[in-house]
Amino acid sequence: MLDVGRHPNIDLLAYSEVEKLEGRSGDFKVTVRRKARYVEEDKCTGCGACKEKCPTVVPDAFNVGLGDRKAIYSWFAQGIPSTHTIDPEHCRQLKGKKCGVCAKTCLAEAINFDQKDRLVEIGVGAIIVATGYDVFDPSQIFEYRYKEIPNVVTSIEFERLLSASGPTAGHAGRPSDLAVEAEIEALEKKAGRLQRAITKFEDKYVESSSAFSKKYQDGEYKDDKDRKRWADKYAEHLAILETIEPIKKKAEGFTVAKRLAFIQCVGSRDFRFYPFCSGYCCMHSIKEAIIAHEHETETTSTIFGMDIRAVGKGFEQYKIRGGNNSNITYIRGRVAEIMEGPDNNPVVTYEDTRERRVKSEEFDMVILATACAPGRGTIETANLLGIELDRYDFVKTDPLSPVDTTTPGIFVCGCSVAPLDVPESVSQASSASERAAEVVFQSDLKKEKAVA
Amino acid sequence: MCTGRLDPAIVAGAFRQGLDGLLTVGCYFGDCHYITGNVQAKAKIDITRKVLKHAGLNEERLAFRQCSSGEASVFVDLVSQFDEKIHSLGPLGGAGDRVKAPEIFKKLETAEAALTSEKIRWVIGKRTPFLETGNIYGEIFTEHEFNRAVEMIIVEETQVQEILGGLKEGARSVKDLAKRLDIPPERVFRYITALQRKNLVALQGVNGRSPVFQLTA
Amino acid sequence: MPDKRENIRIGVFICHCGSNIAGYLDVEELEAFAKTLPNVAFVVRNLYTCSEGGINEIKNAIDEQNLNRVVVASCTPRTHEPLFRSSCAEAGLNPYLFEMVNIRDQCSWVHMREREKGTSKAKDLIRMGVAKAALLEPQEPIISEVHAARALVIGGGIAGMTASIALGDRGYEVVLVEKEERLGGMLNRLNMLGPTMTDAGDMVKEKIETITDHPNITVFTRATVTDVDGFIGNYEVDIETKSGNEKVDIGVIIVATGGRLFVPEGLYGYDGRRVITQLEVEEVLGRGLDPAVKNIVMIQCVGSRNEERPYCARICCQTAVKNAILITEQNPDAKVSILYRDMQMYGVENEEMFRDSKVKGVRFIKYDPARPPRVEEGKVSVFHSLLGREMDLLADLVVLSTPVVPQEDADVTSKILTVPVDENGFFLEGHVKLRPLDFATDGVFLCGSARFPANIRETVAQGLGAASRASIPLSKGFVVVEPIISVLADEDACRGCGLCVALCPYSALEVRDTEKGRKVHVIDVSCKGCGVCAATCYQHALSINSFTDQQINAQIAAFLN
Repeated sequence: MLDVGRHPNIDLLAYSEVEKLEGRSGDFKVTVRRKARYVEEDKCTGCGACKEKCPTVVPDAFNVGLGDRKAIYSWFAQGIPSTHTIDPEHCRQLKGKKCGVCAKTCLAEAINFDQKDRLVEIGVGAIIVATGYDVFDPSQIFEYRYKEIPNVVTSIEFERLLSASGPTAGHAGRPSDLAVEAEIEALEKKAGRLQRAITKFEDKYVESSSAFSKKYQDGEYKDDKDRKRWADKYAEHLAILETIEPIKKKAEGFTVAKRLAFIQCVGSRDFRFYPFCSGYCCMHSIKEAIIAHEHETETTSTIFGMDIRAVGKGFEQYKIRGGNNSNITYIRGRVAEIMEGPDNNPVVTYEDTRERRVKSEEFDMVILATACAPGRGTIETANLLGIELDRYDFVKTDPLSPVDTTTPGIFVCGCSVAPLDVPESVSQASSASERAAEVVFQSDLKKEKAVA
Repeated sequence: MCTGRLDPAIVAGAFRQGLDGLLTVGCYFGDCHYITGNVQAKAKIDITRKVLKHAGLNEERLAFRQCSSGEASVFVDLVSQFDEKIHSLGPLGGAGDRVKAPEIFKKLETAEAALTSEKIRWVIGKRTPFLETGNIYGEIFTEHEFNRAVEMIIVEETQVQEILGGLKEGARSVKDLAKRLDIPPERVFRYITALQRKNLVALQGVNGRSPVFQLTA
Repeated sequence: MPDKRENIRIGVFICHCGSNIAGYLDVEELEAFAKTLPNVAFVVRNLYTCSEGGINEIKNAIDEQNLNRVVVASCTPRTHEPLFRSSCAEAGLNPYLFEMVNIRDQCSWVHMREREKGTSKAKDLIRMGVAKAALLEPQEPIISEVHAARALVIGGGIAGMTASIALGDRGYEVVLVEKEERLGGMLNRLNMLGPTMTDAGDMVKEKIETITDHPNITVFTRATVTDVDGFIGNYEVDIETKSGNEKVDIGVIIVATGGRLFVPEGLYGYDGRRVITQLEVEEVLGRGLDPAVKNIVMIQCVGSRNEERPYCARICCQTAVKNAILITEQNPDAKVSILYRDMQMYGVENEEMFRDSKVKGVRFIKYDPARPPRVEEGKVSVFHSLLGREMDLLADLVVLSTPVVPQEDADVTSKILTVPVDENGFFLEGHVKLRPLDFATDGVFLCGSARFPANIRETVAQGLGAASRASIPLSKGFVVVEPIISVLADEDACRGCGLCVALCPYSALEVRDTEKGRKVHVIDVSCKGCGVCAATCYQHALSINSFTDQQINAQIAAFLN
């Protein structure tokens, strides 16, 4: 990423979208909308002081909503460019309220609430589409109860939970536990605020709240409005303390998730959704199970799949090592249903096709290996550029010219073509750049000839 | 950078400064990113180990092992086993070693000098040509012959360095050196003559009936 | 030698790496510790030193604090040293006055459960890094011109042909060397290509015509590369051809030597007639299947995913399904059963073909490797692991799906080019994920089944990709070499004995006559900086830039004292 940002021959237009395409292979004219960041790119140092002070908390899309960010934010910590952006959907100032805290905080004077979208026109010889894919939304599969059962998560959510820079700093805490912990935190914050208010009253009237409360209940200070507020606050504080107690007790027993179930082909190889195989999910489930085991050696994982497709270089050996060293069990079978058991534990019902029996098993957490869904961005881009899509909405290519789209001069690579893993995406990126370079070379040649 | 960069003198110097153990992990033979760096590393470590053992160090303190960059678990095992070994040997110059501290450090200083100077380094460098293409007379050595020669050279070179070390403290007679260093006097005389020829040692004078030698400035 | 009068001012940047380091080590203590070290003028902690904010902090500190050495204690030089080096350069500091200390991969990640010990080890590492940094000397990159803007492609199969055409179309000269009489490689023996059922013969013909007519491509068939001398941009290659030996100047090399199909001698009664391989069935299908052959049984994973060959060869399942479909098309009465362990029909097209085959009546039976199928006269017995019972299948023809294995001469190619192979004998790329088409050695690239079994789509993509990678030095016209190489630091000490020359694995050293007598000379672009020569020299005349004896000793002393 940083290499791209620093490369002398690469002009990086982040937070921008293609609006229009004209011309043809060797001589395209592209109109790009550079969206307003409300932050001046050349002034922002990426120090992040603004987001510390910003009062508006928003769910963090990068951490798939598992954490929070502010209304002024950078997409993620190592992002390039590190320029921050104001989210106009949530920013108080841009919504017409009074705020502007970020502008006051920013020493570089980079905040500019008046910034507008800009349209730029670029002349290029060739185009490479690398718009990627979308994560399949598993809530369409009702029997898996994703979103109903908190401890059923997608692979990408689990990836964030395992990540050291993720919302749990790499401890695979269960979402249900995280929710409880968040609740405790919120209640404690509230209790703290009430405590401060009560102390003020105690100081004002030089009396302990408990003594006061007794008198108040006995009917003293009947028409004293100020003291009524004290009594109310005191009662509320006690109520909160009472509520927190049992929750805290429950939270004491929380550990990381140790019994994991990985369910393969969620939305893939499924006629209701995507009939194709998403290719890389078997390997990322194995990888996540191995990493979870590295973090907590008591972790056991069960991977439910029809076939475990470990077809890349070194993959089969990796799969076997996972089974031998990382407590992974591979079960051939499709999961019929997930229900919620005690302690928010998901219970998985499946057919073990080797033993030909229907079984149920309780886990701490279930991870859904979601399909590689053709990207909405890819569809939009394809329509805009006038390139054809295949029946699933991946970009249409031919096996014998694997990175050529149906329009000359426009090439494609990565998961916009089909589900691909990292090494294949990287080789394809090189392939696409080769084809693009050929076009540019030929058109330069023509120009030279024309000049001569 | 490669294990092939490992210099015997640097290894000896580290032990002289109190290192308790050194594990070198190189690639498997044939898999070296620098083609033969690991072969050279092993040859150097093997001879260095002999020199250090001669100085009284437990030879298990210096190990050469192999694993590939893809074998994390093998690496962990290698390191854990070595770590355990070194802990069982205890600090350098303790029960685990033939020569005890502080004397061992003096011996290691001599070993470092031997591995810095010409003769042993030349032999190490010549190992591959001697075993594969032969010496200038075209004689190819067997591993066994080579090792026997090396053992002999180590003993001699260590004694030479001890004599040089002894003379560093002041001019001495052959008899005196022989007694202090526990080396037969005729050997001391032979080394002194050789060192005189190389202009490293010179006659200072005669004390009674004993000629006294000193380091050339 | 660093100028003695120079006032050394080291800046130490301690990276939290989010919580990758800060979560397991006491970074505040590290910061306080670093401040106590000799020559350290400035210490700061960053959430991510590699983020643009962190980089700016380094640049500003070099300027504002007058730093003349920079130490970053963070992840690993493997991924981040180039970035930090170039950041120093951008701030006007020679990039080789930078030293990286690995406190993540080799410390915080290793000692996740022992904060105190981990922190104390990180202190040792930082102290060592600072000790070395003080002795660092500025270096200048070595720039070497590409003398021959010409590529050598070894292997004339689909991977090599694709790469050759791509480079030719970009205007570079290509020398394509094929050991067989005819270009085409494995494709010459194939029938139809899945999933589009394109005729392999037609495709080969078309590619060969393009190559033959191409003004930029020279083809040598029945030829082998016998010797490669030199380095990126400046190779001298010996080619043995049917009409004599050729010597060619080459700039870059692409290895596209492909693989071959494992022949299952002694397995499942293989006889090449009634029990044959998938490759042989391709030939049978090409000629036309005998209508009398009604019952066909295919067995997957023959000779792969076992002790001897633990890998899954990726393309055998799709080949089997493709051939099963072609069989049912040629002979609609035929009953094809595929005995498998896992059907590796990854991706969009394969899964479609898999489904299509089921519609066409191909049967799939999962077998257990512990109870493999048995081939008998006219039938195959198998334990159906999903039904849990033995069953007999009639078999007029048994087809064994055997893996693609490395070429028999892969080790020879590996030696000539000094590039490595992996544990299965396939060529080993520079990085399995991030540099799939490069070798670790500059100037040499790879594609196709020489790297790992690949289907037609993947092979074509890799051929194009390798061409793209190889074109970079050709189009730039020069190569920049890292100056961390051997140097004759003490010319007077060198006796020109040649001990080092004999041990140099890259032929990067030679003894030359000089005014001062015979002295060793380092051919800098050939040197990879392995250090064997410096570790051997009994005169201590050779040294390695940025890894001098003095610097290494300073690190050891810092660690032990």
